[in-house]
Amino acid sequence: MTDTIVLDEPLDTFEEQALPATRVRGYWQSVFYRLRHDPVTLAFAAIVLLIVWAAIFAPLIAPFDPYKESIVGRLKPFGWRGHMLGTDELGRDMLTRLLYGGRVSLLMGVVPVLIASLIGGMLGVVGGFAGGRTNTAIMRMMDVFYAFPSVLLAVAIAGAMGGGMANGMLALTLVFIPPMCRVAETATTQIRSLDFIEAARATGARTTTIIRYHVLGNVLGPVFIYASSLISVSILLASGLSFLGLGVRPPIPDWGLMLSTLRQSIYVVPLVCALPGVAIFITSICCNLVSDGLRAAMGVRM
Amino acid sequence: MGKYILRRVLYAVPIAFGVSVVCFSLVYIAPGDPLQTVMPPDATAETIAIVKHAYGFDKPLPVQFLIWLGRVVTGDFGMSISTRRPVILEVSQALSNTALLAMFAVPIAFFIGYVMGAVAGSYAGSWIDRVVTGAAVVGVSLPNYWLGIVLVILFAVQYMLLPATGMGPHGSTSFDLLQWSNAKFLVLPVITLAMIPIGILARTTRAAVAEVRNQDFVQTLRAKGLTEWAVTRHVLKNSLPQVMAVMGLQFGYLLGGSILVETVFTWPGSGFLLSKAIINRDVPVLQGTILTLSLVFVTTNLIVDLLQSLVDPRIRRA
Amino acid sequence: MAPSNFLILRRPRRGRLEGRTALAQRFLTVLVLALSSATAQAGGTLTVGMTAGDLPVTTGNPDQGFEGYRFVGYNLYDSLVLWDLSQPEKATEIKPGLATEWQVDEANPKRWIFKLREGVKWHDSCDFTADDVVWNLAYSTNDKAPQFNPAQFAQARSYLGNFAGVEKIDDHTVAFDTKVPDSLWPYEISYVPMISPCRANEVNYNWTEYALRPSGTGPYRYDRAVPHQRLEFVPNTEYWDKTRVPKQDRLVLIPMPEASTRTAALLSGQVNWIEAPSPDAIDRLKAAGMQIVTNVYPHNWTYQLNFVAGPFADKRVRQAANYALNREDMKELLNGLMLEGYSTVPPSTPYYGHPLLYKYDPEKARALLKEAGCLPCTVTFAISTSGSGQMQPLPMNELVKSQMEAAGFEVALETMDWNALTAVAREGIDKYPQYSAINVSRQTQDPFNALIRHVWTTAWAPKGSNWGHYSNPEVDKLIGQIFGEFDPAKRLALLTKLNETMNEEAALIFVAHDLNPRGLSPKVHGFVQAQSWFQDLTPVSVEP
Repeated sequence: MTDTIVLDEPLDTFEEQALPATRVRGYWQSVFYRLRHDPVTLAFAAIVLLIVWAAIFAPLIAPFDPYKESIVGRLKPFGWRGHMLGTDELGRDMLTRLLYGGRVSLLMGVVPVLIASLIGGMLGVVGGFAGGRTNTAIMRMMDVFYAFPSVLLAVAIAGAMGGGMANGMLALTLVFIPPMCRVAETATTQIRSLDFIEAARATGARTTTIIRYHVLGNVLGPVFIYASSLISVSILLASGLSFLGLGVRPPIPDWGLMLSTLRQSIYVVPLVCALPGVAIFITSICCNLVSDGLRAAMGVRM
Repeated sequence: MGKYILRRVLYAVPIAFGVSVVCFSLVYIAPGDPLQTVMPPDATAETIAIVKHAYGFDKPLPVQFLIWLGRVVTGDFGMSISTRRPVILEVSQALSNTALLAMFAVPIAFFIGYVMGAVAGSYAGSWIDRVVTGAAVVGVSLPNYWLGIVLVILFAVQYMLLPATGMGPHGSTSFDLLQWSNAKFLVLPVITLAMIPIGILARTTRAAVAEVRNQDFVQTLRAKGLTEWAVTRHVLKNSLPQVMAVMGLQFGYLLGGSILVETVFTWPGSGFLLSKAIINRDVPVLQGTILTLSLVFVTTNLIVDLLQSLVDPRIRRA
Repeated sequence: MAPSNFLILRRPRRGRLEGRTALAQRFLTVLVLALSSATAQAGGTLTVGMTAGDLPVTTGNPDQGFEGYRFVGYNLYDSLVLWDLSQPEKATEIKPGLATEWQVDEANPKRWIFKLREGVKWHDSCDFTADDVVWNLAYSTNDKAPQFNPAQFAQARSYLGNFAGVEKIDDHTVAFDTKVPDSLWPYEISYVPMISPCRANEVNYNWTEYALRPSGTGPYRYDRAVPHQRLEFVPNTEYWDKTRVPKQDRLVLIPMPEASTRTAALLSGQVNWIEAPSPDAIDRLKAAGMQIVTNVYPHNWTYQLNFVAGPFADKRVRQAANYALNREDMKELLNGLMLEGYSTVPPSTPYYGHPLLYKYDPEKARALLKEAGCLPCTVTFAISTSGSGQMQPLPMNELVKSQMEAAGFEVALETMDWNALTAVAREGIDKYPQYSAINVSRQTQDPFNALIRHVWTTAWAPKGSNWGHYSNPEVDKLIGQIFGEFDPAKRLALLTKLNETMNEEAALIFVAHDLNPRGLSPKVHGFVQAQSWFQDLTPVSVEP
């Protein structure tokens, strides 16, 4: 459906007559157009934004202190004395712990993907653009890390380094660099051989300029989409690490760690103990659906 | 064709070497002295020096690596520090237990995922597609270990239909698949493990089916007068290779990435062995397990690649 | 579990039954299985879910803490002196085991004469003699002896601190020499199981192989093991104590370090006995008809302190830590399953006395810290995730941390596996100076292990259990008097004085005494819970 210009009066000036009959829509405009007409993706994107907002503003909106314990108020069900979502095994408010836990879990979900996109993307572009020996060298190195199943590699690195939030993030970053690199390299290789790059080179443009203006714009799309699909994986992996005791240490709230510590109390208040799992699930599925929607809108085939 | 196979296999060798380097160095990036774990309790400086020399810890790192590599290639992974059994024995037993899980999880995931994806792909864009795709997304978004815990509470504790932990009523060494009293231990771990592959396979199948349907030959088939069902059969047949490739990869992935599910169910597999080795800082088992699991993954990938190129000569990655 | 499956004939591999002989064979097998299964119903199989992370070693002194002794050490093996586990109303005392009587040598107070039991056979049918005792002590102490086992040396070290030598007097009498006169020696030797030199020789001192074929004199024989998964024992029908031949048919031990796994296993019927159920699951277990048994026992959930480096070298800081704790809250955390701990031993101990009690007073704690110039006071605790006697270490430590931090401390918790933590405890602060305290629960069953080993200079780790190298000449003198006092009444007064001194010195952080909860299936009968870390499993039977 293109926008046409409706003519009420005949065109008079030369400028008007030179205008195209239809308005051409740019790439990004069409992306936003498609998104605007995709209510499902928009809805889930709104939820993701809500979760992020809640995590960022946790200190302001949380009703209680996430570290304040109350032995009397342990393992209470929904709604007990103002605790909307109950209390955990040490009497701390679950809603507050979930909000604060969201900060840690989202951080461990987004930061590794971000850093991996930067580093992996850079390596991929460099390798794809340079081609030949450089490309082979870089991709071989990546292949070595590709040889490890992601869970195994994350657990091995985090376990070897002794656990903790920083080590967990490091482990996840290392796990995501090879796939990001491969995506960027594939996209770059496809672009590199296209005619307009040859043309740019023929006009004497420097390599960095070519990369900046032509390559990046085209590579960014696939990289962004792939990164957005990795966020959910990262959140799940991070929670798995915490569940195994290789992530953050108590009493820092974190959804995976909370799942582990609440396991014993599951007979007392099963619904409360299931909450961290629900939080992980909702965040993860929303990120996945938004990523899917973005992919459809951007027309990227992976 | 033969040259391609040879090239592909040879290519795997430097990968395997790189993998071994990574495994070896994992131990040394760890904080603390790896020697601590092998030392007798109250060793004097003299004893420490002797043991250091015996284990070769006094040699430069690259030399240590080569010695270790040499032993590994002959199958000597050393002795477990906690149990004093040969590591190769521990790893192979554990791996076979995990393989048992994967052998059930992957076909189940394939059947369910393929059907889901085929349905979704055939009715691409309709509400059926959305529902099925939604279900697949649920599969990959749920923390599977959490699902495992919930299943245990429901089926083991609440309804007492299935066991809660372990592998078999007499342990893994006398596990008899043909008896229900043994096989029922498989049910919950397999379901839990299959969850993510179902989602992945459903999505892959859907994408493959939708893509194949858009190809020209489908229109041709319709023009020739084939029924919709016959056309669908053709479509499914053509989308099969892609999906089988992913299935093969999932098998390798499950072998290496089963640690969370095995921890929840105390299934004595390779993931469980790994988590114990991390806790006990049992360095030889750690190195041996990671090396074995990643080499299995590399081999699985290689086989999948080769099979794919056999089935469809168009698919030949450089 | 046994009845339902033997009726399902295994699908023959070749697909067809071959001939009548095969059919007859099959019928016979089924018949035999049916009969043996029928007799198997008499005693039943006791399947235990332990808190240990792995199977305890079977080479003598077990690892995995006292749970190892409880299920393996005292089942496969006997010591010269055993514990009387048949009277639940009294604190346990020692009784004759492989030795029938003992007394200190009149002429030499550093020498104990033990008369050994006659007619005892090892599981491998060799006879038990005095030579075996001498062999065993060399096995765990003499590094020049061919049978020396360094792993056993590490395990036995804390009990043989005072051991100087052993000598065979005749085939059924041995004499022990101690470093100092030691009136408590019989207690110490009770923790040293005797393994069979016959079997050890058979396997040429290959301890890995011995572990798969252990031989002792105990009420149970080793049957099979699946590494990391299960250990199975069967009754020793020739046991020398006819009242303690096991009534069940089979004892299966399964490591289950996670409380939620143990609870699920008991509720689903996979095991019929679990150690230390999570306090929050007790109501659910009771609702399902499980028996929850508890009893006070000589247990101390505590922190041993670093007296050399770090804030706890200052007595005021130690007292502050004690004042900071709200033990009533801790009891609530555990659903009432503990006794508030204000001293090293529970109040029911004969030598409890009237120690200085550090009742909850956070202001006083803060004032003490200020006085000591340590505010905030940074400390690092080494803790475990589970383990024998550790109760619910993670939530309990979190609670301690928050209570201490409210009083002016800054607490860092370093979590590790139980076996790793016991290794830290064995090595002492020389090897682990970074920890201010370790959270290792201690048994207080006998005076040496209850009090002396925490504060005696001679017991400095790694030689003994004085982890933090506490040293006080007054205390050492008092201990010397205790060792030299062979009159029980006078010794009791001295022990009381020692307990009171330890409180005054705030030699530990006193927190709690466990009540030893266990969960049993309603089909388990005959169990009597003694006031001890060890339990007698032999009278237990399991109905089908």
